Amino acid sequence: MDGRALNDSTQASAGHTSTARRLSPEARAAILTLVGGALALAGLILLAGESPARVLTLMLREGFLTLNGLGAAATRAIPLCLIALGLAASFRAGIYNIGADGQLAVGTAVAVACAGSVAGLPFGTGIALLLIAAMLGGAAWGAVAGLLKVRFGANEIVTTIMLNYIAANVIGWLVRGPIQEPMRMFPRTARLPEILRLPILFEGTRISAGLIVALLAVVILWFLLTRTRYGFSLAVMGLNSSAARFSGLSRGRLTGGVLALSGAMAGLAGIVEVLGLHGRLQEGFAPGFGITAITVALLARLNPLLIPVAALGLGGLYVGSAAVARDTAVPFPLVSIIEAAVIFGFLLISVLRRKA
Amino acid sequence: MDQVVVVAAIASGIRFAMPILFAALGETVSEKAGVLNVGIEGIMLIGAFLAVLISVQTGSPWVGLLAAIAGGIALGLLHGWMVVVLKVDQIVSGIALVVLGAGLSGFGYRLALDGGAVRVPGFRQLDLGLLSHLPVVGPVLFSQHFLAYVGIALAFALGFMLRRTGLGLTIRAVGETPEAAAAAGIEIDRVRLCCAAFGGSLAGIGGAFLSTAQLAGFVENMVSGRGFIALACVVFSRWRPVGALFAALAFGIADAAQVRMQALYPDIPYQAFIILPFVIALLAMTMPGGAARGPAQLGRPFRRG
Repeated sequence: MDGRALNDSTQASAGHTSTARRLSPEARAAILTLVGGALALAGLILLAGESPARVLTLMLREGFLTLNGLGAAATRAIPLCLIALGLAASFRAGIYNIGADGQLAVGTAVAVACAGSVAGLPFGTGIALLLIAAMLGGAAWGAVAGLLKVRFGANEIVTTIMLNYIAANVIGWLVRGPIQEPMRMFPRTARLPEILRLPILFEGTRISAGLIVALLAVVILWFLLTRTRYGFSLAVMGLNSSAARFSGLSRGRLTGGVLALSGAMAGLAGIVEVLGLHGRLQEGFAPGFGITAITVALLARLNPLLIPVAALGLGGLYVGSAAVARDTAVPFPLVSIIEAAVIFGFLLISVLRRKA
Repeated sequence: MDQVVVVAAIASGIRFAMPILFAALGETVSEKAGVLNVGIEGIMLIGAFLAVLISVQTGSPWVGLLAAIAGGIALGLLHGWMVVVLKVDQIVSGIALVVLGAGLSGFGYRLALDGGAVRVPGFRQLDLGLLSHLPVVGPVLFSQHFLAYVGIALAFALGFMLRRTGLGLTIRAVGETPEAAAAAGIEIDRVRLCCAAFGGSLAGIGGAFLSTAQLAGFVENMVSGRGFIALACVVFSRWRPVGALFAALAFGIADAAQVRMQALYPDIPYQAFIILPFVIALLAMTMPGGAARGPAQLGRPFRRG
């Protein structure tokens, strides 16, 4: 498909204020849509019998402005950031991987299944091996979609979603069967040994050393996507597939590779979540992260350096929405409506940035 | 499995196929005009929710169905507004629609229906008297829900419409060669908006069928991938409505069969059966039809120039 709308974000938007006086009809329609969307959101909150202003301030305060809220937002931002980095790579290439949830689940399960055999290793070595195992597992699951696309032309949107459902059910079976905790009470594995846990970075929060993994990944993906031939090749493929063919890039290899890469990042996100936060694999431990990470990647305009900021934003949105659902009559799925609004908003702003 | 079980599986397979069929038919028409909507999963969720909400409130499943259609048209038009008028990326807008549908239906459900099961006024099954009581063909062919016959008839009607009528020619021209169609005086964007709305309305019906005819009630995220299976059906049928009918039937019967097999083989983990339709969808994508070329301008905005 057409990656232009996504990649135009990297172009400078200098001067778009000076053109504000002569807006194109499309731009005017986009602004009206933005206003309409905001009013509709306010209307939904009124429908629930609450004041939009109160809900908004509550959400912002609980999600970002208290130490607890900010800590919780950052905790949630870690996996979102890792997944979104991989998705930025694939979306730049015009490959719409919406299967990060499945890749995350498979990568995590592979790593957790290996945990027993690396528990005896010195501190750090075992963790490193598990991170690698999760990346390999996630990459393999992503590569299945890559293979289906390259070999059979199968649309990755459909295949990655199908692979999500398959992965979710396989994990559901694993945590009720072969790798279930010895007590067999809940659909989850036994707690992992302390030596495999990522340490907590800040006293009083749940922010683990996964934060360091995520920030390192930001730098690496930024370099890979913006400073290497490979990153350039992906962008070329996303912008114009026929140009990519003439520049001697193998479209198939890039497609398969970027699906594996984004799968690896999803797997990494999953194992970091397990080793840093939960301490074990349990069913539904990363609900909907793959879709939320798409919002993160788009909000960051596929720029790796902005992804941690966007991830913190979506993390805070989640924490804030949970507080809103707890303290007001507004139900929690508001968070998904806002996520959709963020994606639509991203698209509308890309209309405003379009050159007339 | 003996004959009774097989007949029952096929009869309920036809029922299970209907949500996918309606969504796939709408998507076929929309894609023929060049509008790709990967968000039909979200529209189906809205349809499923509205059908339950409104039929519970009014006591009539038909009013509920109308509400689902209205909701489907609204979301189809939202997508059309974004991709046809504002010409943004169709896939990203579709993804947003999936999230929006899940959010709105979950929001509304918790606001209006939560806190206890509701009795959904069901549709009555069609009873054709003697015909419905015939062995084998009775339950399979003559005891389906009224909407199921509508869906099957619609597949043939849309197939005829697309291939043999002026309207069909217009829609195909808009999706294949919009420049030529525009030169012939066709309003490209208007046709595309209408097809997007039509696709949305059928996805809404598909969702309504799921929550009021196949199952009885709404659960969050109950569409669980059927919208995406419908997308696969469109590709697999090579954008032919009658082909979509057979593809949807294959999924419906596989789904009905796996439900029964869960009970028949308790020693095998039930998850192995649940994934069956999804595995079939993946395998179907590897068949020669999986790579068939769609309408030439699918996913591309039209600009006069």
